[in-house]
Amino acid sequence: MTETAEKFPANQLARISTQTQALAVRSAALVSRGLRDLARDSNWLIKKVFAGRSSQLVVSPAGEVCTLSPLVRHGTERIALYDLERGVPTLALVVAGEPDVCPVGLPAAFAWSPSARHLVAAWGGWLPELHMFDLHGKVFLGGFGDFKSFPANLTWSDSGKYFAAASRGRGEARLRLWPADQPASAAMPFAADAAAELRAPSSAENWIGPGTDETESASESGFGGFGRLAFNPAETILAVVAEIDGDWADDSIVLLEVPGFGRRTVIRAQGRITDLAWTPDNRQLIYCSGGQAYRVSAQTRESEPLPFGAELCAVHPHLPMALCFSSLLKNSAKGRLFLAELNRLAVFDEYAAEGVVNIRWSLDGSRAYAVTTDGLAYIYEPAIL
Amino acid sequence: MNLKTEDTRPATPEDQELARKLEDQAALEIDLADRELRSANLRAELAAFERQYLHFVGSRYAELDEWKAQLAERMVSEQPGNQRARQAAREARARADETKNVAGEKSEHEPPSFQASPELKRLYRDVARRIHPDLTSDRDDRARRQLLMADANQAYELGDEMRLEKILTAYEHSPEAFHGEGPGAELIRAIRRVSQVRGRLAEIEAELQGLLRSDLHQLKMRVDDAEKSGHNVLQDMIAKVDEQIELAKERLNKPGPPPR
Repeated sequence: MTETAEKFPANQLARISTQTQALAVRSAALVSRGLRDLARDSNWLIKKVFAGRSSQLVVSPAGEVCTLSPLVRHGTERIALYDLERGVPTLALVVAGEPDVCPVGLPAAFAWSPSARHLVAAWGGWLPELHMFDLHGKVFLGGFGDFKSFPANLTWSDSGKYFAAASRGRGEARLRLWPADQPASAAMPFAADAAAELRAPSSAENWIGPGTDETESASESGFGGFGRLAFNPAETILAVVAEIDGDWADDSIVLLEVPGFGRRTVIRAQGRITDLAWTPDNRQLIYCSGGQAYRVSAQTRESEPLPFGAELCAVHPHLPMALCFSSLLKNSAKGRLFLAELNRLAVFDEYAAEGVVNIRWSLDGSRAYAVTTDGLAYIYEPAIL
Repeated sequence: MNLKTEDTRPATPEDQELARKLEDQAALEIDLADRELRSANLRAELAAFERQYLHFVGSRYAELDEWKAQLAERMVSEQPGNQRARQAAREARARADETKNVAGEKSEHEPPSFQASPELKRLYRDVARRIHPDLTSDRDDRARRQLLMADANQAYELGDEMRLEKILTAYEHSPEAFHGEGPGAELIRAIRRVSQVRGRLAEIEAELQGLLRSDLHQLKMRVDDAEKSGHNVLQDMIAKVDEQIELAKERLNKPGPPPR
């Protein structure tokens, strides 16, 4: 007895008694990886995330989606976060003093910080300003940047150094930029006031681009407001869509120097611009307009169509590759998700999908996410990336 | 002449209570031993399956992650200024090291699956009934029993009948196996043991549920079910990872883009 006890000193006891369990925990990631690989027959994994429908949603780089809750309870909507992998709600975002009942279908906009720790949200049910949440601490940090018209497009730069918000509303349209220069002790990453602002073009200064009458004001030129936004990876240029009203109008892309918005370059597109993204080398801006994908050289500002159609595009964080969605599959009414190699302009890993409203790469680029209005998540997990 | 006297006094309430508690304890001991056996069996089966999985599939994931890390490192050498590529390469290397560490060195022989003989099961049940740490209220004895039980679990997992026999015999002959301080003290001990055993039974149930819900068990069920219809799921998994390895090798062997 004494001999046995000496053979297994007390500090080894826990190790021995939990040995098998510890081993199981250690290998858990490898086992679940094997199960996942076994379950799929392509690089795409499809998960049901939420029931119902929601078209206002944004995916995080960590595989979560922030959406207007598709479950309307007691006649009101709420903003909720869901985990794409597990298909479960993780958090409901509530702001003190928000009304008990809000009409369904109010506008909403969200932007995740690059690390997915912070989320900026705007919703018609809240005060007309931006709302900052710390998702690690699960707290509402406060509001900033009030807008007269709803700020429908929000974005962070790649390192989180800048945040930009844009609104429509013709003459009321605003584009604002905040640098994350608050002291480390401050809860809010941004100051309350924006560091730079761009207003709707006026009759005195119509900068929308060539082809418009310099004397036209915003309303006369058909300027509807600021649309989608994208910082280049170097965080020196912000590309913003200048939306033009009218069914057959052509939008423009405005390239603005960051942080001062000092120099402006306008690139005229064909049709409505639905998405834009920079390549990791800062040399090209990929954009989708009128269902067609294009690229613009950052140096020459020349635009050329790419050999594929797309309405949404997300460029890989460090490879010359983009995840795209097109609602029209050739010779079919169906849509598709696909990867495009931007050097060779080759399309691969296509997957039929419909109703995709947001796409995104994970921070490390090892996977990409696409979410549809009816709560389906398409997770792209290539074998080799 | 020897007069034999019989104790005809009615049993005291303490004696009656003690008898009831000892009955409860005996029933719970049997239940505890059975459940410990079930838990040990499941753990041993899963541990053996895990070794097989790591041997066949884990080692391939380790190889795949090594290729991926090399690919990511090559990308850095092609684009030295790309900070994100550098970060991705660091992460890929860390992942490769982690997978290699978890998968372990591939042994020469296939790890055996776990099969417990009826004799091994009987021995384990006896050991659990006799030396289970929750069947004593003595602190020192409990500590000794914990060590022995851990030893017994390991012996069971290895299918080592002799070691189990030795553990049981060693404890049966130890002074700690004997007690006797009157019905009052015995009653208190019995009450504590019953409570301890009930607590342990709840723990075993939670452990079992945890093991049954684990991915490892789900995978094992899948492998076992498929095996009944002559299908080898592990082989499918190996084929899938091998395919990825080939893809990675092919990509690594392709020349990179010309420098800009």
